[in-house]
Amino acid sequence: MTKVLSLRRWFWFSSISFCLVLLPLLLAMSAFTSYLGQAQWLAYVTDTYTWRVVWFSWWQACLSTFISLSAAVLVARALARRQSFVGRWLLLRCFSVALVVPSVIAVFGIILLHGKYGYFNQLWLWLGGQPHSYVYGLTGILLAHVFFNLPLATRILLQRLDAINAETWRLSSQLGMTSMDLWRHIEWPHLKGVLPQLAALVFALCFTSFAIVMTLGGGPKATTIEVAIFQAIRFDFDIAKAVYLSLLQIVFCGLILWAGLRLGRPIDIFTSLETSAKNMRPDLKPLLGVVSDALVLLLATLLVLLPLLAVVIAGINTAWADVLLDLRLWNAFSNSLWVALSSALLSLLMASGLLLAQRHWRERYAAAALAVEWMGSVILVVPPLVLATGLFIGLSPHVNVFAINLYIVVLVNALMGLPYMLRVLSVAYLKIGRDYDRLCSSIGVQGWYRLRHVEWPILRKPIGLALALVAAMSAGDLGVVALFGSPDIQTLPLLMYQRLGSYQSDAAGVTALVLLGLCLAIFVILERLLGGSSD
Amino acid sequence: MINFKQVSCRLGEQQFCYDLQIPLGQVVAIMGASGSGKSTLLNLLAGFIQPQTDAAQILLGDQRVDQLDPAQRPVTSLFQEHNLFAHMSVFNNLALGIRPSLRLTADEIDQVEIALDQVGLKGLGSRLPKQLSGGQRQRVALGRALVRRKPLLLLDEPFSALDPALRQEMAALVKGLSQQHQLTVLLVTHEPKDALELAETVVFIADGRVHWQGPSKDFLQQKDSHIKAYLGQSC
Repeated sequence: MTKVLSLRRWFWFSSISFCLVLLPLLLAMSAFTSYLGQAQWLAYVTDTYTWRVVWFSWWQACLSTFISLSAAVLVARALARRQSFVGRWLLLRCFSVALVVPSVIAVFGIILLHGKYGYFNQLWLWLGGQPHSYVYGLTGILLAHVFFNLPLATRILLQRLDAINAETWRLSSQLGMTSMDLWRHIEWPHLKGVLPQLAALVFALCFTSFAIVMTLGGGPKATTIEVAIFQAIRFDFDIAKAVYLSLLQIVFCGLILWAGLRLGRPIDIFTSLETSAKNMRPDLKPLLGVVSDALVLLLATLLVLLPLLAVVIAGINTAWADVLLDLRLWNAFSNSLWVALSSALLSLLMASGLLLAQRHWRERYAAAALAVEWMGSVILVVPPLVLATGLFIGLSPHVNVFAINLYIVVLVNALMGLPYMLRVLSVAYLKIGRDYDRLCSSIGVQGWYRLRHVEWPILRKPIGLALALVAAMSAGDLGVVALFGSPDIQTLPLLMYQRLGSYQSDAAGVTALVLLGLCLAIFVILERLLGGSSD
Repeated sequence: MINFKQVSCRLGEQQFCYDLQIPLGQVVAIMGASGSGKSTLLNLLAGFIQPQTDAAQILLGDQRVDQLDPAQRPVTSLFQEHNLFAHMSVFNNLALGIRPSLRLTADEIDQVEIALDQVGLKGLGSRLPKQLSGGQRQRVALGRALVRRKPLLLLDEPFSALDPALRQEMAALVKGLSQQHQLTVLLVTHEPKDALELAETVVFIADGRVHWQGPSKDFLQQKDSHIKAYLGQSC
């Protein structure tokens, strides 16, 4: 009897999750189809501007992926080789921070460094050169994409290199391998397997990146599809064109996802990086290697640390009293905090329901369980701005979307966080099912007791990490908020973006520091509080 | 003679110190409980771990080897697993033992083929490790030890992942090859049977030190409490 009851309970829970995930997607899709008749297809297809946008989207994503990955290989190798390097801790910390820094902040830091009046131009001027502006356009976009994706890719590659077993290193030192031999026989074969999927992941992230292209690009020469959708809605009020671009974006993202899935299993992005025993490699002594590693590590540290430092320095200025006493800031602050926490909780709710269903179906209905896994990926085909556009179109005949904009922002951010949630949680969730289901039912640990004594101790760490990630990402999100933004309802990234655009640099600096502080605090507090101490 | 003089090191909480002489040209079994320091002895000899005191010396005959890089030491190691590069053919796995660049002369290619024949893998040179059985994989590693032509072979529980029949077969192969090539073999093992069948000498290690050393036929008759506890005999 209890068995039936508990079955029903999870079933209802999972059904709600399914609805929460599927309804917005269906609503967006039906909104798109209702516009299909109105679209002036011929005009769109022959529009050279659109094709230039499409071309630029692919081109910048290709370049970003290529640069991020090749640099990441160098950095990961240097880090793997220098396990006792003093700055290793700092570099890895910076890399972790880069995962949760909002894109507006990174862009701000990059402008502070590379902008026309930035540090580099001032240095150049001091050396006798002429200042020139290079940050707006492709260069700036690439800088920002490398800032985010180099740390991500390096972490994944480093994890691969750290997984090489001690025997292999011992063997290589006994065989007297040179640095080149090690690369050829050991490191490259280990990295080769993960590179295609990693490339697909980085490519997808750069292809759909919005805030970066919006702030650093945006002109006719440097606009991506994602930004073009936004412009079609907000500037041209051409909904049919936005629908056309959205469908185009869905097709392209589908292609990228398909390519990624064909290339192998999805990779684990957020595993911890703890090196166990020191590996003994035979190539630690040669001077050339020491110098080149030092150079690579220094450049990588500067790449990530300098923009963040510039933001911190810019935030310490005389405008702080005005900005901090301004009610608009605290209004935006509380909105951002609310969006972050609600998105993360909603996302957790969705992910738990899906995973619960997957756990129950795994044995009897393999296809259904697979479908759940697929749902996480489907989200990746519909980038945030496309989904927001769909909801915008679908809801606006019925409600005033600007009045409920924060709810929509929460919903979209929760859905966008879902793939990350599923990735972080699924291993632990399924492991509990596999290892303890029979044990629990045989000794009668069920319901609340099972939750408290079995599920929570095992899940709290991944739940803490997943909530922290999604909350920090939502707090820093600009894309969806910008689409629904109205003067009345502000969030911190939006405020920051406006101040960046209106050249209030002092106010922007303080706002940036508050936003950065919020994101880092959310991340650290949620991860530590829920995840417990690391042991 | 292999000579360990006050060779000490510390790994985590545990302290190891070895003073020991081993005659050359023999098969020597290194025995002892898990964690007692059997593998550490081999790792020190191979150069994977450095001794921590200045007084430490490891001599091979008259030559000091403790200052040399692992690649310069006259030893070849064989681990319990991970001896092969998974993406590389059997032939190349052997060829690495001659030249890590894999650019071999015609003469060296012949050496690899001969070694493959000696370990009973003739004709399997183009296979990948995953297409071989566990026993065959260990044979490949043994083949590489042969082409390296180092006088010392260090075996760290090389048979413990194998079935009893395979184990015996491998033991016989090691015995035969060591006699044929006049190798000194140091064999870390858990099995008293291995020690009796293969080794002339047993070195028994307890708490990071050499506790007993003697002919293998005497080992099982020892009245020593550590050895009896290890063998599971009541005192």
